Amino acid sequence: MIGGQAGFGIKAAGRTLARCFAQGGLHTFDLTEYPSLIRGGHNSYQVRVSPTPIHCHVTPLDVLVALNTETVERHSQGLVDGGAIVYDPKTTSVASLADPARFCIVAAPLDDIVAAAGGQRIMRNVAALGAVLGLTGYPLEFLTASLRAQFAHKAPEVAELNVTIAAKGHEYGAAAGCPFPVRLAPTPDAPPQILVDGNEAIGLGALAAGVGMYCAYPMTPASSLLHFMASHDREYGVVVKHTEDEIAAMNMVIGAAFGGARAMCATAGGGFSLMVEGLGLAGVSESAIVCGVFTRPGPATGLPTWTEQSDLRFVLHAAQGEFPRVILAPGDRADAFELTWKAFNLADQLQTPVILLGDSYLSDNRESLPPFDLSKVTIDRGKLLTEGDVASRPEALDDAGLYLRYKVTEDGVSTRALPGVKGASQLVNSYEHDEYGWGAQGEEPANRTAQNEKRMRKLELARKLAPQPARFGCDAERADISIVCFGSTKGPVLEAVEWLATEGIRACVMQIVTLWPFPADAVAAFMDRSTRTMVVEGNYTGQLEGLIRQECLRTFDWRINRYDGRPFSPEQVFETVKEVVSDDHAK
Amino acid sequence: MTTPSDFETPNVPTWCPGCGNFGMWRALRTAYAELGIPTEALAVVWGIGCHGNGADFTRTQGFHALHGRALPVATGLHLANPELTVVVEMGDGDAFGIGLGHFAHSCRRNLDMTAITHDNQVYGLTTGQASPTTAQGVHTPSTPGGVLEQPVNTVGLAIAEGATFVARGFSDDVEHLTGLMKEAISHRGFAVLDVFQPCVTWNKLNTHAWFRERVYKLEESGWDATDRQAAMALTMSSLSDMSCSPEACRVPIGVIYREEGRPTYADGLPQLTGPLWRQALGPRDITKAVAQQS
Repeated sequence: MIGGQAGFGIKAAGRTLARCFAQGGLHTFDLTEYPSLIRGGHNSYQVRVSPTPIHCHVTPLDVLVALNTETVERHSQGLVDGGAIVYDPKTTSVASLADPARFCIVAAPLDDIVAAAGGQRIMRNVAALGAVLGLTGYPLEFLTASLRAQFAHKAPEVAELNVTIAAKGHEYGAAAGCPFPVRLAPTPDAPPQILVDGNEAIGLGALAAGVGMYCAYPMTPASSLLHFMASHDREYGVVVKHTEDEIAAMNMVIGAAFGGARAMCATAGGGFSLMVEGLGLAGVSESAIVCGVFTRPGPATGLPTWTEQSDLRFVLHAAQGEFPRVILAPGDRADAFELTWKAFNLADQLQTPVILLGDSYLSDNRESLPPFDLSKVTIDRGKLLTEGDVASRPEALDDAGLYLRYKVTEDGVSTRALPGVKGASQLVNSYEHDEYGWGAQGEEPANRTAQNEKRMRKLELARKLAPQPARFGCDAERADISIVCFGSTKGPVLEAVEWLATEGIRACVMQIVTLWPFPADAVAAFMDRSTRTMVVEGNYTGQLEGLIRQECLRTFDWRINRYDGRPFSPEQVFETVKEVVSDDHAK
Repeated sequence: MTTPSDFETPNVPTWCPGCGNFGMWRALRTAYAELGIPTEALAVVWGIGCHGNGADFTRTQGFHALHGRALPVATGLHLANPELTVVVEMGDGDAFGIGLGHFAHSCRRNLDMTAITHDNQVYGLTTGQASPTTAQGVHTPSTPGGVLEQPVNTVGLAIAEGATFVARGFSDDVEHLTGLMKEAISHRGFAVLDVFQPCVTWNKLNTHAWFRERVYKLEESGWDATDRQAAMALTMSSLSDMSCSPEACRVPIGVIYREEGRPTYADGLPQLTGPLWRQALGPRDITKAVAQQS
């Protein structure tokens, strides 16, 4: 972990460190923690490194790079025995350590190294990274290459200055006067990896799916997706709009979808609150849109930079009236990429809003992955006519040849002709409407019933098209415990399950990927086959647990809820499951 | 060739007899026909209010949106397919009450589309409450003690925020209004046309007669619509006072401000080369973007 004040460049340093390891073929998972401030306040960036695949961060620290005294005070209790503290005695005090002999203390003159090389003070991060690599015996070349690549667009002398500082730091780390047990080495001939956080994975998924318009108003933790999309807009032909508010973002996306674009918006729960009326408009107007809702702890402004899973019931019920919606919750970055391009297909096939439900833990944190397999991406735009004459679709016309935008069909989906298609005059309507889209006869009971049932039938189609729950670990019947979770809790749960296996405890996991329409049959069957059941979710009220009770008439034996703004740790899941399973009176 | 009847549906208008919306509807159909826009290339987005019932009566590529949100829907549509002609119809509550933010920002963007406001100084569909353009002091069910706020200076706001065509019309003078609509729709940039259209049911102050006694045509007075400062000054005077006597104020109609040549929002988007549905004909090759994540 590297820690210091906001403004010290902690995140950039942490990401560079992860890059050094990932390019050497090691697996990494980052955890960034930061307050809602630009300067001041405490920031930390944790990089977990492993020669074998990993699912999430862990709590104990092996190395603490303390760029200020507060970092020592806050985080030294997390250091394992024999762990290292890298610090500059000129700027940072380790006086708060109760038992300094437990640690490998590396006093590196970071500021002096930078000054001697003629650099700027922020470059002490580079010296510190060099020291960490030196301490772990990891070669410097990956950092050198990364610095040269990062500063390639600037003056070459800036890159070389950084390289000099990194090398000096590396020398200090390698010459640390205490034994440090952790040694890291690149994996020879390792396959290439990418580093993505959840928002980058979602952005790549949207780009691959042919997104034409992305609209958003900045709000943590969704803002970085807006930045990502904006940084790729011209290259990939996307219109990216930072709107005046989230109301505009949602309504623009609906307008863009009417025009035929694949369109997406994303925000946190607060911004989604403003989008809610528009979500209902998308439902009744049968607009194919994708909306990301990335939860941070609420209510209201809440804890802007922390994480929670408390918006499940909100996205499930948002907007007045009833209409079909699909809710997908990626559990990790690979899921995020795949579910995003699939979300666009579902939106087009169903002509209804699809929500991607994430959270800060997924959005903010990077993990190393094999590059996304682009050959798997498919585009299915459903019953869409983009150009030509609507006469080519007789099934969408009345006896007089007039186009029926909301033709009542068996699967609930009508042929959608884009504006510009000859003969396809239409009215897309926020009012209840008849098959032509006109509101005049919309209020007639028979019409209302027909249109309402037509829309709601799309949920049955969605059940067939949307991803099934994912199962990990083992067969529920033979497992000691079966765990149900959704979203980013997947990582800590899967990690804990692997640790439990080493202690002879068999745990089986179901990750509910599509939260609506709810896969009640699969979840009920899974629970019925289980010895013990546990639900793990990041909220106070047990929103998934309640949903399962409602949809499956099943209850859990055990639950873990967390709502302190922090993600689940694998240690927490591991310890709780161990306790539960070893208790003979569990049931 | 298109004719006004091409833009009609079988639905019969439900507006009150004498409603100013009839004049606007006639002027719009005539303008569309005279401009020769094919029905499939004309998109109209309505807000919610009495004006919005026109969605049922008008054959076009229509979207009857939410109250106050017609402009963002139209913006998304325009950018998704810049080849369409996009017209937005809103009420005064839509544009200057609940949707005021969208109105101001749409002006700033100089989007190449047309915003037509049905301005009757009252909420019609919700039975007669004060609107953002109701005169100060007017008694309504929601303001029994009289409106305390001053009315929104609609055209002044449009000029201040950057609309490049700002005009005012009167629904009784259909021929004049038709001409303004054609000019507004033909204008390259964000065109605002605020139309006085008396509400015969709820507004007993700003009646047909009230407007007839006061309106005069700017073009007949030799008005220079290219002078932004003068246009702003004009909107600051009589135009925002809805309770003035015929002697105290004359109400100008016509083109108040016009600026040609300012880049539109889409001009700043070199990636926007046609309808955006063409971006999703097959999976996009994002090999480079993925590689950048290493």
